[in-house]
Amino acid sequence: MRIVIAEDSAVVRAGLVEIITDRGHEVVAAVGDADDLLVAVDQHKPDVAVIDVRMPPSHTDEGLRAAIEIRREHPGLGILVFSQYIETRYVADLLGMRSAGGAAGVGYLLKDRVANVGEFVDALSRVAAGGTALDPEVVNDLLQATRHGDAVSSLTSREHDVLALMAEGRSNSGIAARLVVSERAVEKHISNIFSKLGLLTSDADHRRVLAVLTYLRS
Amino acid sequence: MAVSAAGSARSRFSQMLRSLFSRRAWTDLGYAIVSFPLALVGCVFTTVTCSHPVLLFVSTPAVRGLGTVNRRVAAQLLDEHVAAPAPMRIAPHVHVRTPESARLANLIISAGGLVKLRFGRLEVTRLPAPRIAELAASENIPLTELKTNKQWLESAARDRAGWRARGYLVLKLPVSVVGLATVGLFWLGGLAGLTAPIWQWPQHHDHSFGQLALGVLLVPVGAALLLAAPRVTNAAISLDRALIRGLLGPASLAERVRDLEQTRAHAVDDSAARLRSIERDLHDGAQAQLVGLAMKLGLAKEKLGAGAENAVAGVDLDRAAELVDAAHRSAIEAITELRVLAKGIHPPVLDNGLADALRTLAARSAVPVELLIDITDRPSAAIETIAYFCAAELLTNVAKHSGARHASLEAVHVPGLLRIRVSDDGQGAASPDAGGGLRGLADRIRTVDGRMELSSPRGGPTVVTVELPSHA
Repeated sequence: MRIVIAEDSAVVRAGLVEIITDRGHEVVAAVGDADDLLVAVDQHKPDVAVIDVRMPPSHTDEGLRAAIEIRREHPGLGILVFSQYIETRYVADLLGMRSAGGAAGVGYLLKDRVANVGEFVDALSRVAAGGTALDPEVVNDLLQATRHGDAVSSLTSREHDVLALMAEGRSNSGIAARLVVSERAVEKHISNIFSKLGLLTSDADHRRVLAVLTYLRS
Repeated sequence: MAVSAAGSARSRFSQMLRSLFSRRAWTDLGYAIVSFPLALVGCVFTTVTCSHPVLLFVSTPAVRGLGTVNRRVAAQLLDEHVAAPAPMRIAPHVHVRTPESARLANLIISAGGLVKLRFGRLEVTRLPAPRIAELAASENIPLTELKTNKQWLESAARDRAGWRARGYLVLKLPVSVVGLATVGLFWLGGLAGLTAPIWQWPQHHDHSFGQLALGVLLVPVGAALLLAAPRVTNAAISLDRALIRGLLGPASLAERVRDLEQTRAHAVDDSAARLRSIERDLHDGAQAQLVGLAMKLGLAKEKLGAGAENAVAGVDLDRAAELVDAAHRSAIEAITELRVLAKGIHPPVLDNGLADALRTLAARSAVPVELLIDITDRPSAAIETIAYFCAAELLTNVAKHSGARHASLEAVHVPGLLRIRVSDDGQGAASPDAGGGLRGLADRIRTVDGRMELSSPRGGPTVVTVELPSHA
């Protein structure tokens, strides 16, 4: 897999390069700001771009704006954005990208997760495969802020866990592995959740994520 | 009737006679005499130093010093105790050198600073150094020099107490001339009259009588002058007293209040800018280092796990893996804690303006929030921060305590005033004493002369209105 990294901190950039090359992927460019990122993407046509939200010059949301531009210019490119804070505004923008943009994957992680090698690599591969990778913290935020608190609280605690993992973008097998249950059990939980929340089931992972997220945010 | 009039005239006379020998009369006399050289020195110094701008500015401490001397003399001799004015405030200004002066100057001006270009460097006032560094960093403008200097000349030129002292020193001269003339006419004239028979005593027989008669005639005139001298001197000096009270004392209360308001606004803005730069430093420094560290530990952990089969004799790989794992987890915990800490210092979402930040808050609230935001011009950073924390705390209270099903958040910025209003349809009966949060908010609002109004009858609805000035 060919990857472009955009991160202004040299330490973190070096760490990302190390982790990604360790997994046998190729870092075709590692840049320090949004302008260089756009140039690098045009030049190298990578599979995935890993982007820090806060970069020079203004250190606010350069990375995110670059991500949206990349999605417009190169719709097939997977995008994994990470930042120090979760802001729901970013989530909305990213999910907007997701629904508008066809098949390519989108991820949004906290830096805490990026530092956790296993979770970062897992998210990266999900995004590369065209899936969704949302930080548990993002999902937690969405669950807390949802207008459907009553319906969500009618779920059993196991179903609640499954809902959260689904919203993060995990597949049935991923959820099963995480909760140490069989895939059949996960399927059963999921159909319970969908009927309790009044959602239509869908097979494709990312479409399912969208259904769940749309529900939580509506 | 005639007797009592004569009696009162006699008592008046004895009173005047006594006052002639009172301490007051002599200190007044002393003051009137000392005043003149003092006034002469003060007036000459002030006029000379006013002749050139540089001298004018440099002389401010000296002028204030002369004011102090005059105040002390008045306190000593006249019992006129006037408090000293506040010491001169020297406002800092920041020297900035950069190859891109014009661009940086524009940034600084748009952030509310004042810029002068002097000797190839920028002199910035009304904007603290950290804020300037931040602005430069945000546009990638390199700084070759960034130094906070005391703004000496400008502070001296703007020193109100100095100007008032100058006014006093100039006006004192004519007043002291009047005082000295009084002394000459009444005291010396009186004495001369009283002693006229002695120095008019005839030395030659030829023109003896006329002279003697003149000398004797002058005695009552001299006595009258001398008797009147204490009062007249006192009257002449009272003008000086009034000048001292008006010009050498502390500035008027209104001026003082304006002064304090300005310095407070400065302090509030400065601390907001500092907090923002601390947050930025944490993010760019400690946090980045920790993330890097955690990544390396994460990789090391995996390598150790994978390397178990080709273990080296004498190396306890399991224990090493455990330690690295623990270190990895600690590093990640530290990142999380640092994130929470930094967010409490300055919510980064505010970087894009209060309106955006409030929208994010509302989107995150567990109780549905109806938004009404009308903020076209941005208030100052300090005000935005306070407004944001107010809205966050109030919405949290709604979700936690009110039992409301709906809430609304209104934020309107009209020139000079930012109004935040949070209302909910909950059970009401909220009190500022119940939640420590509300009390803390009220304190914070007061630091910028804002106000908070709470209306929460039992059974609801609860409406909290916060009004803040646009600028601290």
